Amino acid sequence: MSILINKNTKVLVQGITGNEGEKATKAMLDYGTNVIGGVRPGKGGEEVLGKPVFNTVAEAVAKFPDITTTTIYVPPFAAKAAILEAIESGIPQINTIVERVPIRDTAYCLAAAKEKNIQIIGPSSLGYISPGIGRIGVVGGPKAQADEIFTPGSIGIISRSGGMTNEVSWQVRKAGLGQSTAVHVGGDLLMGTTYADLLKLFEKDEQTKAVIIFGEHGGSYEFEIVDLIKNKEYTKPLAIYIGGKFASTLPEGMNIGHAGAIVERGKGAEEKAKALSEVGVMIADRYEDLVTLIKPFA
Amino acid sequence: MNLYEFEGRELLEKHGIIIPIGEVVRRGDNIVDAYRKLGLEEVVVKAQVLSGKRGKNNGIRFCNSLEEVEKAIDEIFNMSIRGQYVSSVLLTEKINIESENYLSITYDTNRKQPVLVFSSEGGMDIEDVSDEKILRIPLDIRDSVFPLVGGAMPAGRQVRGGFIESNNSSNFLLILEEYLEIAEKLWQCFLTEDTRVLEINPLVKTKTGEIMALDAKVALDDDAFYRHNKEAGERAKEKGLDPASITDWYKFESRTMLGRRATEREIAVQEIDKGEKYYQGTAGKYIELEGDIAVLFSGGGASIANMDALYQVGLKPSNYTEYSGNPPQEKVFELSKIVLSKPNLKGLWIVGGVANFTDIAATFAGIVQAIDELKPNFPIVVRRAGPNDKEGIRMLEECAKRNNLQIKIFGKEVSMSETAQVLADIISSN
Repeated sequence: MSILINKNTKVLVQGITGNEGEKATKAMLDYGTNVIGGVRPGKGGEEVLGKPVFNTVAEAVAKFPDITTTTIYVPPFAAKAAILEAIESGIPQINTIVERVPIRDTAYCLAAAKEKNIQIIGPSSLGYISPGIGRIGVVGGPKAQADEIFTPGSIGIISRSGGMTNEVSWQVRKAGLGQSTAVHVGGDLLMGTTYADLLKLFEKDEQTKAVIIFGEHGGSYEFEIVDLIKNKEYTKPLAIYIGGKFASTLPEGMNIGHAGAIVERGKGAEEKAKALSEVGVMIADRYEDLVTLIKPFA
Repeated sequence: MNLYEFEGRELLEKHGIIIPIGEVVRRGDNIVDAYRKLGLEEVVVKAQVLSGKRGKNNGIRFCNSLEEVEKAIDEIFNMSIRGQYVSSVLLTEKINIESENYLSITYDTNRKQPVLVFSSEGGMDIEDVSDEKILRIPLDIRDSVFPLVGGAMPAGRQVRGGFIESNNSSNFLLILEEYLEIAEKLWQCFLTEDTRVLEINPLVKTKTGEIMALDAKVALDDDAFYRHNKEAGERAKEKGLDPASITDWYKFESRTMLGRRATEREIAVQEIDKGEKYYQGTAGKYIELEGDIAVLFSGGGASIANMDALYQVGLKPSNYTEYSGNPPQEKVFELSKIVLSKPNLKGLWIVGGVANFTDIAATFAGIVQAIDELKPNFPIVVRRAGPNDKEGIRMLEECAKRNNLQIKIFGKEVSMSETAQVLADIISSN
């Protein structure tokens, strides 16, 4: 098993005719993911990499009613309309890769998605990968590199950073372990899918024996993990690295790293580490140590 | 981007919120002119800084004459407030206050929606106000009108955004009723101005019964610049709207939260991600620090991990810099040139994780171009992997040869943090 992706996953690419959209389509197809086609207004009837292009999401859904996931590859100013179109069409899972989406647009989409029980992963999420099963988006990079980094295994991975999703997964592989699913949740202030949401899924997933997280200073999502563990909604071993200890020396309100990583008193890397360690989460001082901490439980 | 009070309050006024009359005095401005223009004897002199707690830190002075104003401004310009450089002061009329309240709208990250916070206790930090004096109304961003507007209070305690939270809601809703009009105005400001934070503290009722914003704390969403510039004004005009309704964010002076003015290099870097291709990879992040190790990090997450790693091995960064996504060569070149131009550097650390789809050869081409131009004579350590990394590393090796660089290059076989130690060792043995 795995989370978020399975053998029945069928993917639509919104913005398939653009550079990034086509690159992602290729990345997914190369990894054996079932991409059924894409959307680009005005280019319906064309093909990209042998896959049909539709004018609207509704047209695509009419032809393929069993689309499970759509991926958004459009410029930031078009993101809201694209996501809302997917929500209207009732596609259950939306991966938004778009970076720099205004927070007002993100909030709007999240409110609309919540009403229809639709899951948004992102914004600013490069995607997620379940080794040997498939990937959404471009996590892992070109197929040859992805195969070097990812192999089926028992470690679940969650990261605020796209690059670090790969880097941490590589450290896991280097230590002779494999991954169940690696998810880049995105670095924005508002996260469609949070650590806590994913930990609940990893809890139910039989393949996953332990989880590691690359977190950041700023925001309060790490504190949700504390409640989750206290309520026994997550019981497997968990190791976390929280970047940005140095940020405590910076003035409040500074933005270091991602949009969500704002320097706030009481929500720094050290406060988070303390709260998490009190409920039994293993804290890594360096990101490489995540693997050392989790290895006994793999 | 955080706004100074004098900028933030103009945004509030634009939406019909009443503010005291005032004049801004920048360093070097004529104080006498400003005081006369205001035409009042009693004025309040307020230091303009991006941090709060000005009152407690002697940044707000009440004056009764021109001499007192001149003295106050002189003193304020010679102090820093909680480490913040004072760029200007605001002179305002003195208001006779009947009562002080607090009103704000910000995003609640756990709920993932905006929340309005109202308190009958104003003038102090909301964190220091006891919880039973606070009313929270979760808001749905899709509501184009503030949900409680329309006269009568809702019978229950639910609005579209969720449940109103307070230990004493009936009392509060009564108090709030008087402030509903300003709450609606603040909501319209929040909806149209792409703010992340809107805070009025204190929100006062004057002796004559007016509701007035005596301060304004506003944070703008940096990702929404494209909706608040000259072009947006032109788009509004085409739609038959008033172009003046669009506030041009590019007209705000450059600023830094670091408690000092932005340096030339910082201002130069801000230009990199402007223009039409602003979202195609980012390379416009640069904060000047006091250390002597130049850094070029790739990726937001890796960059903060690497800052921590650098301090852990006892080195001090001369800057915080990060490029991410898939920035074109020119953006990386501009950024690298600025990073390398800082005087008295002792080393350069170019480091990033295993990239997903960043073209390592293209980004390294930008770095190589900068090295060729500036020919650094300090040691360089590189760690990077990802698409086209072999080509990127080959280019860097050739560049090292022709410029006689002292350089060590690593791929993904070594972790990022380990290479911080490598750099520390080279520097200490030099």
